[in-house]
Amino acid sequence: MRITPSAAHRGEATAAQATKSLGHHSLTPYLFILPFLVFFVLFRFGPSLAGLGIAFTNWQAVRPPQFVGFANFQAMLRDPLFGAAFTNTIFFVAITVPALIIISLGLAIFLNRAIRGRSIGRLAVFMPYVVMSTVVGVVWTWILDKDFGLMNAYLNIFGIQDVPWLVSESTALFGIIITTVWWTVGYNVVLFLAGLQDIPGELYEAARIDGARAWAQFRFVTLPMLAPTTFLVVMLTVINSFQVFDQAYVMTGGGPGTSTLTLVQYIYTTSFQFQKFGYGSAIAMILFVLLVLVAFIQIRAYRQGYEGVE
Amino acid sequence: MRKLALLIVVVGLLALTGAVAAQDDVVTLEFWGGWTGPDGAIMQELVNTYNAENPGVQVNLTVQAWSPLFDAFIAAASAGSSPDIMAMHPQETAMFVNLGLIEPVTDIVAASEVFQQDAYVEKAWDLQNYQGEMVALPLDLGLHGLYYNVDKFEEAGIAAPPSNAEEFLEAARLLTVDANGKHPGDEGFDPANIVQYAINMQTNHHAFYQWYALYNQLGGQLISDDGMSCVMDLDKATQAWQWLQDLVYVNYAAPQGQTDYARDFITGRTAMLIDGPWQIPAMIAAEADGLNWDTAAYPTIFDQPAAWGSGHNFTFPVYADPEKRDEAIAFVEWLGANSFDWLASGQLPIRHDIIDSPEFAELKGRQPFVDMLPNQVLLPNIPKFSEIFASNAPTPMMVMAQRIILENADVRTEVENACNTITSILSMP
Repeated sequence: MRITPSAAHRGEATAAQATKSLGHHSLTPYLFILPFLVFFVLFRFGPSLAGLGIAFTNWQAVRPPQFVGFANFQAMLRDPLFGAAFTNTIFFVAITVPALIIISLGLAIFLNRAIRGRSIGRLAVFMPYVVMSTVVGVVWTWILDKDFGLMNAYLNIFGIQDVPWLVSESTALFGIIITTVWWTVGYNVVLFLAGLQDIPGELYEAARIDGARAWAQFRFVTLPMLAPTTFLVVMLTVINSFQVFDQAYVMTGGGPGTSTLTLVQYIYTTSFQFQKFGYGSAIAMILFVLLVLVAFIQIRAYRQGYEGVE
Repeated sequence: MRKLALLIVVVGLLALTGAVAAQDDVVTLEFWGGWTGPDGAIMQELVNTYNAENPGVQVNLTVQAWSPLFDAFIAAASAGSSPDIMAMHPQETAMFVNLGLIEPVTDIVAASEVFQQDAYVEKAWDLQNYQGEMVALPLDLGLHGLYYNVDKFEEAGIAAPPSNAEEFLEAARLLTVDANGKHPGDEGFDPANIVQYAINMQTNHHAFYQWYALYNQLGGQLISDDGMSCVMDLDKATQAWQWLQDLVYVNYAAPQGQTDYARDFITGRTAMLIDGPWQIPAMIAAEADGLNWDTAAYPTIFDQPAAWGSGHNFTFPVYADPEKRDEAIAFVEWLGANSFDWLASGQLPIRHDIIDSPEFAELKGRQPFVDMLPNQVLLPNIPKFSEIFASNAPTPMMVMAQRIILENADVRTEVENACNTITSILSMP
């Protein structure tokens, strides 16, 4: 093969172009994410790092912080309010996550079928999610009003006595859970619907030919094929549930007593209402570690699940 | 042509300079307050009037609920800036003095023709003092009083609103009616089917406000003079709470788990209402629907008269622009002098010239509140006010109130728990 000088020259030019375009390529994606990156660093990553530092100080925001070592973390162990917030949050997550997964999966399967008014159904399920959390809180405070609320009016039809919903320690957290499920279930439904639509129809066809009925199809086709979506939904729901704040704060302010006090509300309260930013940051670090731990367990379980299938 | 172009440029530049100069002349004042109810609109009207009358000043009123407003105030101060005027309540000044966010107003008072001690009722003036120094300028006061439904009182044959425990319990009995028209104590009275209650019972922070009034009627003290511990007299504290708890669970005079007190009074579910004068505008509005109402002093259930109260005042933040201070003072003086218009918000006047005016005498329902002002008791003005008394946080007072009123918990236990928590909060650095 003979290489003419001009060809060699062309080759050089092509290589130079390639280098140039490679450089161009390597810069372009960063430019695309730059606006996000700037905001992420300034408002997420930066404050998180600062929060880690603040957790080891006593800081009232308007005066210089004082280093106190692990004192804030030790104080947490003796603080009954932290204990209440921790327990309430775990209880909230334990009830809300399964409820949100099961109900949203059920709704998604229902809305994935060729039924009349399917689009309206999908819209109706997603609509609450668009509403601001404070508005949801105010509206549901009315719905769950012990004396004049819509919920008790419905329950009365079935002969059930008035439930004190938000004005009793034993029911208030359930009131918040019901509100949260109503408000956020639509988001999960959309994710599940996307996952369901990715499952090839031939799989169901093959299953039917093999004699699989509805339940068997769900168990052996839908569920395994949905696994990646389910993993994502579970992960997001767990993280969001741990961060429960707005609706509880608007509806009960953490009460009655401490029955609906959540970790995020307690972080807000100690930091901003009580001006104990060091202690608030320390609680935030505990929540962060908790979430990382939960995410780690989930990822491991998911991988093991996949290896098991393989 | 060139001359014309030059002329246009010169005229344009002059106009621009003029505009800049005009903008420079206008002083912008940032004024923050937590009036999120109808009172916010009234304050905004006052601000608009001031802006119209004073072209050289532009006051910007920022309104959001008190709690987030204070959060924003602290956040702004930590960044080295503040509004020019910050409204708050007398019992919160210690907190902000302690944080180093507001400065004394002694020099303003010394030079002011409006803010003179003898022009104000004693209480309003005294409450602006913290550690022997004036730290705020007063705007108004408010306190709990008794609203009553005149028609229901006549139906029950009650001649006058109750003023002591005995009268109160008898009125409560007569005004509590079950579906068969029976009263508590009557044979066959059905507590599960009460159609009309005598009075409201708050399940929010106003529950401990009422307790605080009754505890003061017994002569109790809550926080030690040095502000370092809870010195609650457990017997008196228990006695005061027991009275309130019994109204719900023993006398059936007040509904359990109530959520909307004013609404229940307006719709006739309750015949009396304990609340502040800020409900007066709502009562006047409800007259169109047939509500026949009047007010009376908060009843003296125990030894001496006392009713919970609060008020609004103006403070001058440390981190505000010092060059705007004169304009800020002038605006606050104007508000003080024109505070009659603020009465539309339902708050009480504190200036003698207003209280003694014929215009004030014509306003319905306010006189019993004003008469009670000398017996108004405010929550202790201490640096850790929020940690003990905040209404939207699990403070010891909120937890105690809700456990006693909503859960019918053992009063003595809750009182002891609250006192221990308060002491542990106060003893922390």
